[in-house]
Parts: sequence; structure tokens; C-alpha cells
Amino acid sequence: MQEIIRLENIRFSYGDVEAIRDVSLALPAGIFGLLGPNGAGKTTLMKLLLGFLQPDSGSGEIMGQALGEKRKSLRRTIGYMPESDCLVPGLDAVSLTAYLGELSGMPRQEAMKRAHDVLYYVGLEESRYRQVETYSTGMKQRLKLAQALVHDPRLLLLDEPTSGMDPAGRKEMLELIRDIARKESMNIILSSHLLPDIESTCSQVVIMNRGRIAAEESIAGLKKDRRNVFEIRVMGDASGFFVALAASGWQAEQKDQGLFQVMPPEGTEPAALFRAAREHGAQIRHFRQSRTSLEDAFMDVIRGSDGN
Amino acid sequence: MEIREKGYRHWEGTLRSSRHDWLPIARNGIRAVFKKKYAKLIFSLCASSFFVFLAAVYASTKPELKILGELVRLLKSDAELFKTFYANGFLTFMLIVLSVFSGADLISTDLKFKAFPLYFSRPLSRGDYLAGKFAVILSYLLAFTLLPGILLLLFKMLFTGSLAVSPVLLLAILVFPVIECLCLASLTLALSILSPNTKFIQIAIFLVYVFSNTLAQMLKAIFKSDYAFLASLHGNIQQLASYLFGVKPAYHFPGWLSLLLPLGITALSFWLLAWRIKKAEASS
Repeated sequence: MQEIIRLENIRFSYGDVEAIRDVSLALPAGIFGLLGPNGAGKTTLMKLLLGFLQPDSGSGEIMGQALGEKRKSLRRTIGYMPESDCLVPGLDAVSLTAYLGELSGMPRQEAMKRAHDVLYYVGLEESRYRQVETYSTGMKQRLKLAQALVHDPRLLLLDEPTSGMDPAGRKEMLELIRDIARKESMNIILSSHLLPDIESTCSQVVIMNRGRIAAEESIAGLKKDRRNVFEIRVMGDASGFFVALAASGWQAEQKDQGLFQVMPPEGTEPAALFRAAREHGAQIRHFRQSRTSLEDAFMDVIRGSDGN
Repeated sequence: MEIREKGYRHWEGTLRSSRHDWLPIARNGIRAVFKKKYAKLIFSLCASSFFVFLAAVYASTKPELKILGELVRLLKSDAELFKTFYANGFLTFMLIVLSVFSGADLISTDLKFKAFPLYFSRPLSRGDYLAGKFAVILSYLLAFTLLPGILLLLFKMLFTGSLAVSPVLLLAILVFPVIECLCLASLTLALSILSPNTKFIQIAIFLVYVFSNTLAQMLKAIFKSDYAFLASLHGNIQQLASYLFGVKPAYHFPGWLSLLLPLGITALSFWLLAWRIKKAEASS
């Protein structure tokens, strides 16, 4: 499968602060979530992809074009929805969208026609003649998506697309992103710190931490590693029980009052847990396979990369 | 605001690449200035100078209006006529007003509304962005200097019935407004990129104009030398116009020296614009 983005050993610093450290990445076509805590380097990576910043070292290709070269040509293929609350004042939504379409290289008439289409698509058809300064946060988010789509890019970079939106608006925005992603020739990189947004739209994630790629795999794959984790609630004196578990190679972590998360060593069946409890006089009152959320997996990856 | 069920549809057209990628910015900016409140009033005031001079040109070419001879005494030579038209105090002041009106907010509102990511995520270089903004203010400034200057020349030819014009005069008619407008436009844009506060920029433009004149007056009082007017924007415009049109200079110093301030301001402004816009793109 052709890669839409390939980065090799990219480094970038803001003065003395290393924002991107040796990032290598190969993303095939599709929709990808870009996850990471604040300051992980997600926005800097997007800026590098757009050519706003030049890497200090390393190389890469986006849609077959070398990173940092022929920026004009590259930007024709990219649609960018910035995180910041940005707009061009003094224009109504349709004029703004058409104007930005024209700047992307669309003929004037076509840009105006397409502006109406995309505003209709994002649900702003009734407010398209309103001055953009009067828009609410949710409407501005939709408008930013519309302007990113107006020239029909092959790669869409969405930076926190649901930021500041109410639950209903957020749901609609995610539905739009899913709908766009269904188009074969459309590739999306969705940067967000909202894990449910990523989980509901993407099947693949790239997790960044401290300027590095901490993980790059499918959401299912991330969760898979955690399937063999159990939740138990223990009554009675459990100290001997947990000592015995630890001696057998089990890992246990207290989550709440009396509630523990346990992980057996490789090749051990859960039945061994009950045997150990019986032998040490502990009662297991609750037992179930731990539900693994993306958040758990994300936290594990972040902790793991912090440890490195 | 429901999401339509028709789904996302691709656009079937082809994006074009052009050497004039800045043109939509210029067009949008020119339209925006024209739509502003008081635009017509300011344009009328800027154009009023042209109509006064047109009347004077007409009067100077008609023997039956000799009664107005004293009034048009200064306009007897073509060089004097065009020098006075371009460098008269009222037009110079109106050009400052026009710079404030059409250019102060050109970049500062983009800073205020954080519009740079929208521009620079397009196939648009920093040069294209600045060229587009520059074209807006330059169009308006030239529309009230170069254009009426050419029209005055054409009307003069029409009234006298002669096509004779000195090449030096023609060159001065074309070059002087370009130098003057380049200086004002670049200064305005350079100030506009410094702050997202448009009011601050507007005041700063006026201050540069007023302060440079006041400084020149102070220096003149101290050093008793006309060279002091090299510090004045208006003084330099006067002296440069006299030099290019070959008429009696307003001040006692070589006319070519008055090229230094406008060219210096233009060069410094371009450097500042290039530096700030690079930073703005990186922080988009």
C-alpha cells in the first residue's frame, strides 16, 4: 500500500527545547489518530508536515512529495483545520470559504460554487451569509472544516476538531469526519487529546510523547495486549494471597477499596487465581476480565515511554 | 444545522498554479477597503486635489481666463504644475489619511484574528501574502497620485491641443508618485505587522508623519541648517519632487539626498516585513 506520509529521523527544536526527536513514521492511506499529552509534539509535527516549520534534520515525503520542498505544490493536496480560533474578518462564511478556495488555486466561480456545497455539507447553509465574527465556537469549528475541504484535498490534517463544541455538535463533527474518511481517496490525520474522539473515528493511532513516537499501531492492537487483565474484589485477609500471587509471577495493582487489577504471568490460567485464594483463606467476591479502554492503553504507552 | 445525508462529494475540477497567487488577496483587500464606512468621503477628499488642478490647467490654457492669471501663476510651467500637484501639503496629508484608512488594518487584523494558518496552509508563499497586501494599499495610493497625474497630463494635452511633452517631465510624472507611494505603503504595512491593535497602528502612522516634521523643525532651530529637513517625511517629499521635476528646491541641500529617507524607509520596512512574516508563518 502506498504511504501517504513517510518520515525518517525528523528532529526539530525551538531554540534549546527539542520538540521533535528522531521521529520516523510510515503511514499508509486511511485515517489516523494522533494522540499525545499536551506538549507531546503533535501540533509541531503537523506544522512540519505543512511546511510552516523546517526540520533541523531528517527527511520525509508526504503524498510522494519531499518534505520542505515545493511547499506550494504540497499544500494544494493538503487541507488543514487549525486548532486556534482563526478567521479572516469582514467576510461572510461563503465569501471566506470561496476566498480560501481561490487561494488554493480554484477558479473564482468554481470556488464560490464549491463553498456553498461544503458549507451545506458541514451544516452551515442557513448561516452562510452571516459575518464570521458573529459565529459561535461550534459554528467556527464547522467553518474551519469547510475551508479545509473546499479545495477537495487528498490529505486532511485536523487539529482538535471538536475543541469547544457542545456534545451534540461534537457528535455531528465526528460523524462528518467518519463520513469523509469513507471516501477512498481521502486520508485524514486527526490530532486530539480526546481519546473517545479518536476511538470513534480512527482504527489506527500514532501516540506521541515528549517529541517521540511512543506507539504506532491499531487501536485493537493496543487494547489486545491488555486482554489478559482481570478485576477482582477480595474479602478477608488478602495479604498472604497477594504475597503468594507475587511469588508466582502475578502482577497486582489496587484500583479501589478492595478492588484489584491482576495480570497473570505468561501461560498461567485464571483458575490459578482461585486456587491461590482458597489456599490462603481469601474470598474472591468479584471477578471479571478487565475492560480495556483506549485510555488505559494510552496511559500504559505513555508510562512505558516515560520509563524509557 | 443537521448534517446532510448526501455525504461528502469530491470536487471534479483541477487546481491551477499561477504566478499571481497573490491576486485574490489583493482583490479581496481592495473590495474590503471600498466597503468601509467613510470610504467615499475619504476618496472624494483625496480626489478633490485633482479637480482643483484640473480647473487650474484649464484656466491656464484659455486666454479668455487671463483674469485668473494671478491664481495660476504658479502653474505656468508644466514642471511647476505637476510638482505642486504631487507635493502639495493637502494631498500629502490625504495620502497619510488614505494609508491609515486602507492599510493600517491589512495585516494587524490577520494577527488579531489569527488568520495566518488559513493563509499559509494554502499554496501561498510569504512573498505572495505580502504582495497581495501591498497591492491593496499601493492601488489606492497610486489611484490618487499616479492616475490623476496621468489624467492631468492628458487633459493638458487636450486643452492645449498639443501632444508635446518633455521626456524628463514624463519620467518625473511616472517616477515620483511611485517612490512616494512605495515609501508610504511599505511603512504602513511594516507598522501593521507589528501589532494586532489597529488603533495603535493608525496612531503610529500619524505619529511618524507628524513627529518627523516636528523633529525637522527642532533640528532646524538648533542647527540653523536646511539639512534638518532630511528628517522630515513631508520635507523630503517636497525636496524630492522639486529635484525630479527640476524646479526651484524647497530647501538648501542637494535634491538627490531626499531620496535617501523614502528609500531607507522602504528598505527597512521590507526587511521588517520579511522578518516578521517568517516568524508569523512559523507560529501559525
